[in-house]
Amino acid sequence: MTLTVIKPGLQTTIQAGPRVGMRHLGVPASGAADALSLALGNRLVGNKLLAPAMEATMAGVSVRFDSDTSFALTGAQASADLNGRELAFHTTLAARAGDELHVGLARTGARVYIAVAGGFVVDEILGSASTYLPAALGGHEGRALREGDRIAVGQSSGMPTEHETPAEFRPPVSRTWALRACRASEFALLDDNGKDRLFDTNYTIGQRADRMGMQLEGASFNVSSQGRMASAPVFPGTIQCPEDGRLFILSADAQTTGGYPRVAQVARADRHMLGQLRPGDHVRLLWRDTRSATDELRAKHDYWREWLPDIAQVV
Amino acid sequence: MRSRSSRETLDTRILVCGDDLLSVSLDDIRACQELADRLRDSGDWLESVAGIDSVMVQFDSATIDIDLATKRLDEELRQAPDAPDTEPELAEVPICYGGEFGPDLGDICEQLDLTRDEFVALHVGREYRVDMLGFTPGFAYVGGLDDALNVPRRKQPRVRVEAGSVGIADGRSGIYALAGPGGWPLIGRTPLKLFDASEADPFRLHAGMRIRFQPVDRDEFDTIVETIAQS
Repeated sequence: MTLTVIKPGLQTTIQAGPRVGMRHLGVPASGAADALSLALGNRLVGNKLLAPAMEATMAGVSVRFDSDTSFALTGAQASADLNGRELAFHTTLAARAGDELHVGLARTGARVYIAVAGGFVVDEILGSASTYLPAALGGHEGRALREGDRIAVGQSSGMPTEHETPAEFRPPVSRTWALRACRASEFALLDDNGKDRLFDTNYTIGQRADRMGMQLEGASFNVSSQGRMASAPVFPGTIQCPEDGRLFILSADAQTTGGYPRVAQVARADRHMLGQLRPGDHVRLLWRDTRSATDELRAKHDYWREWLPDIAQVV
Repeated sequence: MRSRSSRETLDTRILVCGDDLLSVSLDDIRACQELADRLRDSGDWLESVAGIDSVMVQFDSATIDIDLATKRLDEELRQAPDAPDTEPELAEVPICYGGEFGPDLGDICEQLDLTRDEFVALHVGREYRVDMLGFTPGFAYVGGLDDALNVPRRKQPRVRVEAGSVGIADGRSGIYALAGPGGWPLIGRTPLKLFDASEADPFRLHAGMRIRFQPVDRDEFDTIVETIAQS
């Protein structure tokens, strides 16, 4: 069973779960930038929540199913059709051999996930099937998909009984985001004015936005490191403040260490949202102490467990 | 709830960095490596990563309270360090300096008031140690740079730096194993392949390894690249 790429779009990769426990070797997490949407797609086709699926950045993707297949679309808002017949997101869909799926450009959000029953079959490297483009690691030949690529699809292990994501489990996709965040190691290097404004600014996502991270525009900060901070560990969700004063939020492909002051850390509960931020989106950082952030994470897990029993592996 | 008195008994080098991240500040890179390795071996942490003067650990905040994680880290920090390992391996790393490979070399020489030859002589004239791999797979932070070669990082990082690029910043050399964004001022490039996902051990350099740089010209650089491609 295979699926053939007709039009790859801006950047479409195979993504699954993260690489864990190898950051000390310089190996980043990678994996779906919006792991919650990946999981919701896989849920609708009976896969494990972090099974390999297609992550289409800003979409504009066309693929052909080479055999009868169940699939699902989640993530960013975009139009989609199968042979011209309009499709709904968050629904288990059926394709016949030869059917062509077109996903239009994302209207809001940045990434659409295409999950197929059985999942995509690609080599696992360093513990994950996820594509990490800078190292040409994992996924389909370590690269973004191209026209004509044929991707193998695994054997379905059985379909779920529910074929629609309940309304209360469809994550909102918006042009305006609130990200809960804690103070990080070098918060104290901000001047007093910066400490006040960090959690009280309407930021805009800059043009430089990818799986590694995104620029936050709308405010400039002064940090007293004189460009000589010792390189220190960073993680997805770390917000750095380089010397130019413009904040940078690290995402799924975050490098493992960095030399810029770490002023804040997006709370674990909200890191999956980073995958849907796109240039021009508005962002606010909501300050949380670590205890509140933990309580809110656990409350979020409790909420989602009804639909995604393994939510703690995802968010 | 953690009481104020118990907070005061914890090691002051521990810093909370997020709802699932803790950091320990240390003076010395070797101490960082030793602690990070020891914490990783304990199995208590999802990640244990050494920086130049700090170690960061990640824990599963869904099941472990931050107070417990902090207490565990504090206890592990109090244990005696492991004994140092044996004499590390020496790696020869050829570098083609300047030109298109080292677009910042001219600026750096001007900033340091050195000629290009003086710079190269100072850079190749000693043995170094790989302090850590990080930033991206295989990126080597090489410590021990001559004090005369201390320059800061670029204010605005480059969007793309080629694989094999060598930069200097903050008293270290940095070797980019992969193409990608980067903020180190670039002085040259090595023809060696430092990361190869098809190998059982994909990393050419490792933390603690000794390093010697060798200057090569463009022809020698190309020859080495060809030799590696054929093997």
